[in-house]
Amino acid sequence: MRKGRLLAAAMIAGALFLAGCGGSSGDSGAGKSQHGTVNISGQNFAEAQIMAQIYATVLRANGYTPSIKLVDTRDVYMQQFPGSVDVVPEYVSGIVDFLITQDKGPNAKLPTSADPNTVISQGKSYLDKQGITLLDPSEATDHNAFFVTDKYSKDHNVTKLSDLKGKSVVLAAASDCKDRYDCAVGLEQTYGITITKILPLGFASQQTYDSVKSNESQLGETSTTDATLSHNNLFLLDDDKDAQPSQNLVPAVSTDFLNANPEVATILNKVMAAMTTRDLTELNFDVTVNRQSPAVVAQNWVQSAR
Amino acid sequence: MDRHALDPPEALVNMVDQTWQYLTDPANWQGSEGIVVLLVQQLLLSVTALAAAAAVGLPLALWLGHIGRGGFLAINVTNIGRAIPTFALLAILVTTSWPGVVTFGPYGRAGISTLIALTLFALPPIVTSANVGVREVPDAVKESARGMGMTGGQLFWRVELPLALPLVVSGLRLALVQVWATATIAALVAGPGLGRIITDGFANTDYGKGIGGAVVVAVVAFVLELLGGAAERIADPSRRARSRSRHGARAVASVSA
Repeated sequence: MRKGRLLAAAMIAGALFLAGCGGSSGDSGAGKSQHGTVNISGQNFAEAQIMAQIYATVLRANGYTPSIKLVDTRDVYMQQFPGSVDVVPEYVSGIVDFLITQDKGPNAKLPTSADPNTVISQGKSYLDKQGITLLDPSEATDHNAFFVTDKYSKDHNVTKLSDLKGKSVVLAAASDCKDRYDCAVGLEQTYGITITKILPLGFASQQTYDSVKSNESQLGETSTTDATLSHNNLFLLDDDKDAQPSQNLVPAVSTDFLNANPEVATILNKVMAAMTTRDLTELNFDVTVNRQSPAVVAQNWVQSAR
Repeated sequence: MDRHALDPPEALVNMVDQTWQYLTDPANWQGSEGIVVLLVQQLLLSVTALAAAAAVGLPLALWLGHIGRGGFLAINVTNIGRAIPTFALLAILVTTSWPGVVTFGPYGRAGISTLIALTLFALPPIVTSANVGVREVPDAVKESARGMGMTGGQLFWRVELPLALPLVVSGLRLALVQVWATATIAALVAGPGLGRIITDGFANTDYGKGIGGAVVVAVVAFVLELLGGAAERIADPSRRARSRSRHGARAVASVSA
């Protein structure tokens, strides 16, 4: 691995040297197109695909050569981050929880604050230890959310999670839901909902939607930026007691890479400042419902945001 | 790089340690979601799928082997069960209105869909082995059996089936071990079995649990393999013939020579 990095460093140095030679012949733009490769990774679902493509678009515009490799779970890319992965589109609690759990074991106490900067400061020592820097969190946030069918909402007069107090429901959710505060534990403790059974059918998965639609379960887990719900006659319940910890979008960057390329922080912070939850939901809609390619959706958004 | 918590050697040591801790904690073996209950669920699922596949596949494969026709077709048709990923089949089945995700007794949520998918997966080795087993009975043996005046039925029951038995059992053994390990996919549709431990473990970054579940599946697969091997030896007619001759039986079935 070390050998690989040395080789990569030598290649980048060579590229920079060549670029320097080119630059001296007059055109300053030629030097700009030779910042070297940025390896972007992340989880392989619509929103992460879009964010990875947005990062790639703006980095390319600033003279980097981005390469995107998305994988199924955080466990996989975290093996190579930092190292052969430089930048990951992350979520504040997502990465902080992961690092704490990895360090302290599966029963570790995790941050529950809804304020992204509080969570980041609570996770700072773990981030430093791993060699990862989180840039500025965006105002755009994608945390767990729960839905019922339109019919259930009308029949039981339920529009927010606290309306479910005292009711018994079957919950369709991701496999990690049972012991999580931002899932089953919070629903039971903060909202007083009786969960009779959890069906581990996945986060915002087709199986979860189908299970709620068929009334096998009454409550399903998805995200705040789920664009498909109203199409399916499903109703998103308001988290009126703020039980969800901060899941603002944030670029996670390898500290070594950032030290070598400090301008990456400026480039990505500018993008994240422009991103909103509403934009994110619309972009998700374009990809998951309108079946547009994440790359096209990302380019259009970057152009309109400029 | 040495500051990374997941550098291979340290991470590997941690995982082995966590797995050991998970497997040696009695609490993880007990209760309605403990290893023992899940193991029995998965065994029931596997054995049922195997029995269904044998009930459908064996008569067909043996009969086609006996008449010496259609075996190629049967083997290739059942090979669809090998070509279609079992999980893809399960994913399609659960989206249908029937069998869909209907709960089926001890087979849990989507029980019928899971059994169908696993049964189709169990068919190819059973059909292939049984058919080949019967077809490979030497012509000379069949000729002499007919020469002794055996009818078609007698030829099948007294000559072809005993000689094909080791291969038939070998197919069943192969199918059982494959189905056992594959039955973990039931967890992906919230069904029963040890797959639940594996998916739960990895979903919660609890590697000890995830790997622990996989270790239990592997150990049981090995035990099933050994039991199957023993059954195969018992089914071997030449071995039976040898033991019979050791016990002084005068007439050793000439067909096994």
